[in-house]
Amino acid sequence: MSQAETKTVEKNRPLRRDEMSKLQWTWKEMKRNKTAYFMLFPFLILFIVFTVLPVLLSMFFSLTDFNMLQTPNMKGLDNYIRLFLEDEIFILAIQNTLIFACITGPVSYILSLLVAWFVNELPPKIRAVVTLVFYAPSISGQVYLIWKTLFSSDSYGWANATLMDLGLITAPILWFEDAAYVMALCIVVALWTSLGTAFLSFIAGFQTVDRSMYEAAAVDGIKNRWQELWYITLPTMRPQMMFGAVLAITNSFGFGGVVTALCGFPSVDYAAHTIMHHLDDYGGQRYEIGYASAIAVVLFIMMFASNILVKKALSKVGE
Amino acid sequence: MKKSIFMRVVAMMLTVALMLGAISVTASAAGISDSIGSYKNEKGSSPTLDEMKNLMTTKTYEDYILEKLSGENDPARTQIAINTSSADKFGDNFTNEVKVSDSDEVQASIKGSSANWESFTKEDGEKSWFLPSVNPDGSAGVAEWRFDVDKPGFYTIEIDYYDCIVDADTYIDENGNFVEIKTKSSVSAIERKLRIDGVVPFDEVGSITFDKHWRYDYVTTSDPYEVPASARPFTEIGSYAEYVQIAEGEGAGYYKYVTTTKMEGDKMMQTLTTYKINQDINGNSMAPSAVAVSQWSTYTCKDPSGYSEGALKFYFSNGPHSISLEAIREPVIIKEIRLVPAEAPSIESESSGKMSYSNYIAAYDGVPTINAAPTIIEAEFPDLISDSSVTSTNDNTSAITYPISSKAQLYNVIGENSYSAMGQWAAYKFTVSETGLYKLGARFKQDTLQGMFICRAVKLAGGQYGTVPDAPFDEAYRVRFGYDEEWQSEYMGFYSYEYDSEGNKVLDDNGNPVQNKTEIELYFEKGVEYTLYFECSLGDLKDYIRRVETALDVINECYLRILKRTGAEPDKNQDYSFLDYMPEVLVKLLEQSKELTNVADELEALCGTNGSHIATLDTIARILTLMGSDGGEKIAENMANLKSYLGTLGTWINSSKSSSLMLDSIYVVPADSDENAIPNAKANFFESIWFEISSFIYSFFTDYDKMGLTEETSEGDAAVSVWLAMGRDQSQIWRSMIDATGGFTDTYGKGVALKLVTAGTLLPSILSGKGPDVYLGLSSGEVINYAIRDAIIGISGNAANLTAEQNAVFTNYYYMDANGNEIVREKALTAAEMEAQGLISVSNGYDYATREAIFAPAAMKTLRLCDVAYGIPMTMSFAMMFYRMDVLGNLGVEIPKTWDELIGALPALQASNMTIGVSYVSALDFMIYQMGESMWKYENGDEYDSRWAGAEINLDSNIALEAFERVCSFYTEHSLPVSFDTANRFRTGEMPITVGDYISIYNSLVVFASEIGGLWQFGTLPGSGKGETYNNDSLASVTATVLLNGCQKKGNDTLLAAWQFAQWQTSREIQASYGNSIVALIGPAAKYETANKLAINDLSWTASEKAAISEQMANMDAIVNYPGSYIIARYMKFAFLDAYNDGTPPQEAMKRYVGAINTELTRKRAEFGDFLFNVEDDLEEGQSVPKLDQ
Repeated sequence: MSQAETKTVEKNRPLRRDEMSKLQWTWKEMKRNKTAYFMLFPFLILFIVFTVLPVLLSMFFSLTDFNMLQTPNMKGLDNYIRLFLEDEIFILAIQNTLIFACITGPVSYILSLLVAWFVNELPPKIRAVVTLVFYAPSISGQVYLIWKTLFSSDSYGWANATLMDLGLITAPILWFEDAAYVMALCIVVALWTSLGTAFLSFIAGFQTVDRSMYEAAAVDGIKNRWQELWYITLPTMRPQMMFGAVLAITNSFGFGGVVTALCGFPSVDYAAHTIMHHLDDYGGQRYEIGYASAIAVVLFIMMFASNILVKKALSKVGE
Repeated sequence: MKKSIFMRVVAMMLTVALMLGAISVTASAAGISDSIGSYKNEKGSSPTLDEMKNLMTTKTYEDYILEKLSGENDPARTQIAINTSSADKFGDNFTNEVKVSDSDEVQASIKGSSANWESFTKEDGEKSWFLPSVNPDGSAGVAEWRFDVDKPGFYTIEIDYYDCIVDADTYIDENGNFVEIKTKSSVSAIERKLRIDGVVPFDEVGSITFDKHWRYDYVTTSDPYEVPASARPFTEIGSYAEYVQIAEGEGAGYYKYVTTTKMEGDKMMQTLTTYKINQDINGNSMAPSAVAVSQWSTYTCKDPSGYSEGALKFYFSNGPHSISLEAIREPVIIKEIRLVPAEAPSIESESSGKMSYSNYIAAYDGVPTINAAPTIIEAEFPDLISDSSVTSTNDNTSAITYPISSKAQLYNVIGENSYSAMGQWAAYKFTVSETGLYKLGARFKQDTLQGMFICRAVKLAGGQYGTVPDAPFDEAYRVRFGYDEEWQSEYMGFYSYEYDSEGNKVLDDNGNPVQNKTEIELYFEKGVEYTLYFECSLGDLKDYIRRVETALDVINECYLRILKRTGAEPDKNQDYSFLDYMPEVLVKLLEQSKELTNVADELEALCGTNGSHIATLDTIARILTLMGSDGGEKIAENMANLKSYLGTLGTWINSSKSSSLMLDSIYVVPADSDENAIPNAKANFFESIWFEISSFIYSFFTDYDKMGLTEETSEGDAAVSVWLAMGRDQSQIWRSMIDATGGFTDTYGKGVALKLVTAGTLLPSILSGKGPDVYLGLSSGEVINYAIRDAIIGISGNAANLTAEQNAVFTNYYYMDANGNEIVREKALTAAEMEAQGLISVSNGYDYATREAIFAPAAMKTLRLCDVAYGIPMTMSFAMMFYRMDVLGNLGVEIPKTWDELIGALPALQASNMTIGVSYVSALDFMIYQMGESMWKYENGDEYDSRWAGAEINLDSNIALEAFERVCSFYTEHSLPVSFDTANRFRTGEMPITVGDYISIYNSLVVFASEIGGLWQFGTLPGSGKGETYNNDSLASVTATVLLNGCQKKGNDTLLAAWQFAQWQTSREIQASYGNSIVALIGPAAKYETANKLAINDLSWTASEKAAISEQMANMDAIVNYPGSYIIARYMKFAFLDAYNDGTPPQEAMKRYVGAINTELTRKRAEFGDFLFNVEDDLEEGQSVPKLDQ
């Protein structure tokens, strides 16, 4: 075999992983799995056009003074500087959002988990019915408006009429227009509607746990149901827990529509003004899309960061 | 509004006149009082306490008859004809003597100033009298006739009238002033208040209605042509109708052809009349517009509510008398008034005074049976209708409704909701081919009044039935249409009880009286053209509904009395001792409970079933029994229920009165025909399935965006594109008004692409450059928002971002000569110059003075920024005061004219557990203006000086703070409710005075609380100030028609077309016509709040409503919009809520936010500084930019 031949063989031999750059390797892998990529393609297009692009665009617009109608001018970091140094209401909104997220996020998450666990223990037929009962408030659209009737500002509203009947108050309380009550009421309503998709995914998660693992665990010395839950059930359903957590976070940060429907826009003295509302205020009412984009970017970063936190926390489950 | 001493004096006189009027009733035998005629409704005056109290003590027709029954009834009476033209018999106060000829061409085109009404006289000198609805001085038109009665007795009153279409207009007189003639016809019926000897004899004639006549515009009639001799033997005299449906291609559509043949001398002449409903490019039927047909008609004075059938009878004693007609709505021409002697009425008989059916049919005993082809009348093609809102419509619920298409919506039926109010009718002309007796068959659907039936009166005209349409016999008022969810096909007939030989009703197995249906037979002669009128009537239901109505009145009264004792939220545990305080109320509750149960039982027997509609009465009866028994122990806990049931009962009455019916076709068939002679009611299984499937499939291929577009308007080359975000009905009306003869396209020769969009589409469309040229109905705040961002074009000719040439489009005057050439002038031509040169005006220049004569200056203000106008006002709404006259009259509370009076009246109301509703959001704003301050700080009061305007808020001025504190005190000190349901509380009488947006409150009350109709009115806002001088300004909230920057790029032709469209669309005629059409289509709750103050006069408001709106419009201001305005309302609300919730001192609460508001304003000004506020450039020596940061 001549040297030239050897060279040709050398040449035709597939390169090893360590002989390639990362890019080459990726490209090669992509070619190998081209069917999979082809199937992924439609989603990818939609994802890029409707999710990645808007995020990038709003990052770009946050550096401009775009107003929806005229050509934007570059403003550098002006919007961010104003946001953190001049805008008192934004600071208030962050505060409200954090209070809101810290209460509704974990509480609704734990609530979902506990209720799902409890529901899971029920016989299948009853389970189906109970699941629907808990899930109903979150699928029935604007059903939270029932709270508006309950806590109507009119003296004919249920809460007012009852309190007046009992002689506790003499004039009707403007429940959703009184800074003292707004936040608390909104949190209650938020919790009431929060048993949503996360709750369903938990139920599904409980169903996927392999029964044989419990038996094995029993042999290994699990003593009670708590240990079963902590060491077997929860680690097994980590993907569902992650999914639920992401939903809980986005919901608690993005909980704006319900507040607007109940308290009007903006809520009195900005008592329940969250970052979402601030975004609406500047984007929808004042046509300051540049500034609103900056708000959106901050909100995005906050959500992103809390997602990482939650991921870290979840990895500790079962340890 | 400053009330002059004069007004006070007039009000005094009014009271005196009323008292004199009352005396004159008792002294009527002694002749007529001299004071007759002084009851003219003063412009804008609210009713006095006495008037309101009078409202509570009214007299019904029944009372009147009982009172007069003992009077002498001279048998030898003759008809008394009052020729209205004999001028010597007019009262001295008759102001508008406009004579109108009564030839067929009467088009009373009245032009002239108020002092100079042009007169019309018929060629032969006979005169008729034109009675305007509003006198030029703003008072309601009144005419009075005096006459002598020589023989006493009962008479019916007949009036020959002409439902004229008066086309009066505004014009500029020689001094350059706008003169408006307030009399103009609209779609409303003609309403008058009838007085005899100076008083309204009984309630029923407090408002009498003369029908107008309408037809659809889809009829064309050919010139008569002679039938050649050869064809004569085969042609019959008479007329016959033929229906043709052409599915595809040229001329596709649905036609009715009527061939009418008659002899003229020895010539046989034929005419062909074609009816065709227009279709859009998808083949959907398009609503025809109703055209008024003015004609001489005879009105017989009858009960407009439908409770009494036939003519009302009036008693006249010997001696001089007078009849007067006071305008409520619409002008009319009157030729003659006749008093026709009538039999003395009898109280027991419910009869209309007509002969009975058995007498009618007996006259035709022995008429030979005939064998004739049925005459088919398709109900969707009425020849005349009483009301422009009676419309044909589409029914897709049955596969055999004719015509039907699975591709498109064809008009194939008449009625449903648009044809349900008492007295509405549709008329059909027809002929039969043989002389003899006929039956009437109908294919109909009545699925609204569950378990009950509705009635129609069948009236006839033509041939032996005479020219005045009338029921041929008594039973024709009571033709029943039963309930079914499906289509039905039946012969028309009435029901009567079966009696046994002793005269008792025969009972069936269930104990209900047996009723037999008699199919009515009518005699028609061959070749004679008859007109068949189907009129909505209460028929057999009338007594029951009246009883429920009486019961409701009594229960309402009980409710208010209980309310006075317990308040709106009674304490269940407290003992109110109703038995001691108001035993009669308990008795009344029990009585009414019994009455409702009786009505329910009788209705059940009458209808044969107990549908949910009847069951409602039982439910209410139960709760009344509960409340009335046990000494009223259960009253407290059931008060809330009672309140909601009062509403239910009101709704029950309304729905029972509305006799909604859908008619597909009417068959006139020989009397001996069987069921097979009329069409099937229901499609068979296969027909239905096929129809459903094909409709489903076609639904995928229909382009719903093109709904309502026609060939001409769908093309891309329309001169101007217009968007609107309203309902589909509204959009269709605009479409048809643009396309109508004399509409925009017809007049200007420019096509319009009209598109219905959802609100919020405008912004992205401008961003993407695909926006419209014109947008209708943008709120004033948005107008300024868009304007400062360059998206809307300034139309006042001084816009900085337009070229001089473009600006000139808005300032030049465009004319068109006879050849269609365009002539441009910089100054307006006078009318004389235009006439001399044969020019017509096609576009006016924008100038504030002219516009302000048409629109309220306040409305203009909101669309103006830095001296550039950005739109034409389209709608304008504002707060007014609504009050319940019955409740206030009862409590002896005068209508408050100022806030002090209103607060002064509060204790009296609160003592009866009532209150006053004021919307704090609007009160916060208008109070500042009423107290003489403005929302903004201005240098030298110039609102448009760009250097200062909108730079600083005025809320921290002393007066503004005082105004704020005052409004807060209404709620904190005087306990007015902050949050309340206006319509509901106003209806129950708990809130007899309420202040809020006039159009929305009016529209909700008129349907939601129709049972209190006539008991409430609205007037100007209470004012601020002391004594005689007070300021009752209201604030305008405006939407506008705007031109978007897209048309600037498309060139000057588009710009001009858009400008012309905007002018056309906001003109008086078009606004009035739109406002009337929308009421006609949707109903009285769709009143339109046009910003055109001239158009208000042409809308269907009553004279007193018009006066109130006009007066408020004259007292109007507006908050000018500047960049950042949105922040004001927000912080004012915060400040108010701080003061209300936490008890913060109001002034302090407000001051907290002033700084924040100013900061935001400054920021926004800085953002748009380059464009609008050339602050630095314009500063003169020594001036400084206003101080902003405090």
